[in-house]
Amino acid sequence: MNARAMVNFGLQFGVEISLNPDLLVQKNGRFFLVNSALKPFTRRDFYYAGTFLGKAKGGKFFPSFNLLGMLAKTEANKIVVDKRTAWLFICGRDVFSKGILHMYGAAKKGGNVLVLNEFGECLGFGKIVGNLGRKTGDSEIMVKNVLDIGDFLRRER
Amino acid sequence: MSGKEFFLNRYEHLGWEYREVKLRQAIRINQTNAKGKNLVERLKSLGVCPEKIPFLDEGYWVQRSHVSVGATAEYLLGLYSIQEAAAQIPVSLFTSLKGKRVLDAAAAPGGKTVQLADLMVNSGVLFALDVDKRRLTALSNHLERCRVSNTVVYLLDARQVSQLNVKFDRILLDVPCSGNFASDKDWFKNRTMADVERNAKLQKEILSKAVDCLKDDGEIVYSTCSLEPEENELNMDWAISRLNLGIEEVNCHGQRGLTDIFGKKLDPSIQLCRRIWPGETQGFFVCKLRKRGSSA
Repeated sequence: MNARAMVNFGLQFGVEISLNPDLLVQKNGRFFLVNSALKPFTRRDFYYAGTFLGKAKGGKFFPSFNLLGMLAKTEANKIVVDKRTAWLFICGRDVFSKGILHMYGAAKKGGNVLVLNEFGECLGFGKIVGNLGRKTGDSEIMVKNVLDIGDFLRRER
Repeated sequence: MSGKEFFLNRYEHLGWEYREVKLRQAIRINQTNAKGKNLVERLKSLGVCPEKIPFLDEGYWVQRSHVSVGATAEYLLGLYSIQEAAAQIPVSLFTSLKGKRVLDAAAAPGGKTVQLADLMVNSGVLFALDVDKRRLTALSNHLERCRVSNTVVYLLDARQVSQLNVKFDRILLDVPCSGNFASDKDWFKNRTMADVERNAKLQKEILSKAVDCLKDDGEIVYSTCSLEPEENELNMDWAISRLNLGIEEVNCHGQRGLTDIFGKKLDPSIQLCRRIWPGETQGFFVCKLRKRGSSA
């Protein structure tokens, strides 16, 4: 697995991200984006460097929140949710239609979508399980939570 | 040589009378991430009551809070860190960090590493070392949460820093120490003078290796959260006589360093260090050092 894994991940949100392969370093299946100042210091055995982008495990790619944040700055598919939904989302809950304030991109059922709070900050992402563009009942689940920033708390347990 | 009475007797001889300390929770705003986000107002709207810490640029006491400040979206997005007030002081003592090569010699769990990266505005290169692999996981999580992008982390004993073949502009030596009772309720039960002496020896070893990797005009900030003079003033007295270092005046919270330790007279410049007895904050000690003959 290489830079392609991250590009493919971006494609799931409708954007093609470009990463300079010369500045991409890998350590035990974890990918890091460095700059030219940091690069020389990754030649010796390091533990972490620059911006952590995600890890590959069992043939699957698991993105970091840095990568999600990078995607959120692009034209990627995203939804903006209200305050209460944002809180529930970082607690691991799914997104109901009534909590969605705005939608950007051509998000289709079965695809992935970034979930942003009202300040435009990326809280994670989910899988679209409803018809986002269609008027539906308030209590219909639209986006299944896949990864949210509450993970920082869960991973330290 | 241990026990509460033994240590309190020492503190009394050093001029401080023991009192119970209840530490207030403190946070530090990560300016690089929080710029323009009106964070204080956002925290207030969540039911957090922040009060500016007068002796810190970005520090706030959490007066009271209806939510856990370690579980808000703002915290998880790296807009602020939870960092004890005195622990925010050492990094603040460096002059200009932007674009520099900086070493954090004992970095985990990473509170000061993130603070350094914030003041560096993610520029230059920050080298973070720790000797404990498990603690590097916590450090990495901290770096990811706070969107730090200028840091390289190594599993490396600070005493082997010369392996990196780097000369540093700034070195933070927040060295492993004996801690203090304000942040560890069992401290008096668990600590002996043997621990203090072992730590003081390790600290000298780290300091002497760090000096070898410091640029001629570089700066070292040495800090501990120990109250024991063997790990603080006595080590600094050793450093200025053995390592060709001079102590710089710093303008920060705390009292002047002690120059009379149980009858032993130290170099008068030791008073330029800062000793923080537990009270408003936990106990702490900080000292800024430069190579002698270098220009400030």
